[in-house]
Amino acid sequence: MEKFVINIGRQLGSGGKRIAEQLAQELGINCYDKRLLDLAAQESGFAKELFEHSDENKGLLDNIMHMRFLFGTTSGESFCSNVLSEESLFQFQSEAIRKCAEKESCIFVGRCADYILRDHPHCLNIFIAADESDRIKHVSERKGISLKEAEKLLKKAENTRRNYYNFYTGKTWGASESYDLCINISRLGYDKSFDIVLNFVKEFLAGVQ
Amino acid sequence: MAEQRTPTELGTEPVGKLLLRYAIPAIIAQTAASLYNMVDSIFIGQGVGAMAISGLGITFPIMNLSAAFGAMVGVGGATMISVKLGQRDFKTAQNVLGNVFSMNIMLGIILATVCLLFMEPILTFFGASENTMPYAREYMEVIMWGNVITHLYFGMNAVLRSAGKPKLAMGATLFTVVLNTVMDPLFIYTFNLGIRGAALATVLAQAVALMFQIKMLTNPEELLHLKRGIFRIKMPLVKGIISIGMSPFLMNSCACLVTLIINNVLLSYGGDLSIGAYGIVNRVMFIFIMLVIGINQGMQPIAGYNFGAQKYSRVTQVLKYAIFYATICTTLGFIVGVFFPAACTKIFTSEQDLIVIANHAMPIMVMFFPLIGFQIATTNFFQSIGMAKKSAFLSLTRQLLFLLPGVIFFPPLLGLDGVWYAMAASDLAATVTTALMLFFQMRSFKKMHDNGLTLKSDI
Repeated sequence: MEKFVINIGRQLGSGGKRIAEQLAQELGINCYDKRLLDLAAQESGFAKELFEHSDENKGLLDNIMHMRFLFGTTSGESFCSNVLSEESLFQFQSEAIRKCAEKESCIFVGRCADYILRDHPHCLNIFIAADESDRIKHVSERKGISLKEAEKLLKKAENTRRNYYNFYTGKTWGASESYDLCINISRLGYDKSFDIVLNFVKEFLAGVQ
Repeated sequence: MAEQRTPTELGTEPVGKLLLRYAIPAIIAQTAASLYNMVDSIFIGQGVGAMAISGLGITFPIMNLSAAFGAMVGVGGATMISVKLGQRDFKTAQNVLGNVFSMNIMLGIILATVCLLFMEPILTFFGASENTMPYAREYMEVIMWGNVITHLYFGMNAVLRSAGKPKLAMGATLFTVVLNTVMDPLFIYTFNLGIRGAALATVLAQAVALMFQIKMLTNPEELLHLKRGIFRIKMPLVKGIISIGMSPFLMNSCACLVTLIINNVLLSYGGDLSIGAYGIVNRVMFIFIMLVIGINQGMQPIAGYNFGAQKYSRVTQVLKYAIFYATICTTLGFIVGVFFPAACTKIFTSEQDLIVIANHAMPIMVMFFPLIGFQIATTNFFQSIGMAKKSAFLSLTRQLLFLLPGVIFFPPLLGLDGVWYAMAASDLAATVTTALMLFFQMRSFKKMHDNGLTLKSDI
């Protein structure tokens, strides 16, 4: 069978990661989320901590402070790139994702994999959403924090995730045209939603073979 | 991305050798940039007069501001292009190129229109007096009519660099320096155009370089080239370009603000000629600072790579080398400024009043120059290892946070000398702050080193 890739985009607290993991188990393939950072670190020879710091993070403040030129060099001449810039780390991560997709069939969670692998011949892009109230509940349970705190955290995290995606892909995060299947888990519940996703994937894979 | 290979040599070859190899092209480029400024000042000072130098000094911050907008689009666009090239997304990269082109034209026209319409009030605000106004106005008028060319020239140079053609970009820079040097005397002396001639030489040199750039960038065989359909403004791209370009923009605007305030303080405490003197000293010291910046740019990839690869001993080693070379450069500046100020000022002007002020100011301004190499190199070091906020803070200490209070509060006590002493004091205070921050950083490095923080590779 030819190699395939499933990219899962997800809202924070939607259960997208759980779906990705269960799907991977069901299909007997690897699921890469945070583990991608290990791959990226290997690819670059850099410490994983660096990638953790800039993981799906593209804050406005960081951008403003991310100065590339010393004050006074109005000529804007810069000959050597900064290998530790966010853009450069993203580049390493994309190489890691590409190499991984070349080697095996697998599932990627987030990290703009849908854009990075846009030329992959057998690539399925899925977006998992859920109602905001459900996601806030999830996050508060998972982190053991109050609903209010969870809501704040969610808003902030979504914002950085959106910025990250929009910046690197030039597309809009969560917009339906980027995906083959978008599903809101809150409508039918987790189990039924998972079955739908699984069936969708199986039908797709039947076409690949 | 041509410049984004991970050269393993960065982690293995001797640090000193690497630093020289990476720094030399950067130093050449920086020297070219500072020469450009010097040549213009020299011809204006010798060919037109002392008041003309002061008039030129008034225009610095305005040019800074214009360059700030240019840097925003140029740096933002170049970074975005290299990201897209790295993703082999050539269509979007092309689109960014077109948008950079369009944005530069629009910004250039808007800035020029505003400046040309409100030239006198703007120049007065920036510190022009009735003596300097004619020169400042004549110079700025020509510069602003050519503003679109200047913006496009810098923008395309940034694009060429990110498209893997840094040598071409450098060639264009050197070319403008040479052409400007040739045309300056021709326009000022032969055609008798005065300060206008200097401005015209600048714009024409850039125009010729721009034509050469556009010829390169319209070659359809190039991966990135200008063609129809890429020029229409796309908001997501513009947003991306501006968000990246915001930091160089803010930095350059700060430079504008500081010079604006200094010029006004100089005007009220020392008169027109002190602005000219400040300009002369700045031009001379700029050479040494630019050398340091070249060294820093050479250090960046080496420090960055080794920090990422957790080779901390190499990180500290390259910093030590950079500080060493930077200190040599700024100490040279110190020696020149303290012992040979007369020799420098004579190059720019033969007017005795101006020479006296400049010769008096130079030794004070460079008082702590031997320390400043360390300050600039360390500031840049923080940036190379990804600590951009610390770096931005340190850069601001010397150029703004410690400088402005001094410039505002010293002159009422010390008169004109207060301005010069404020600069020296800010150098000293910034160096102390930098040393403290580096000390704490090094301590935490040592901890990391001792605990043997290693890569987890259990995939």
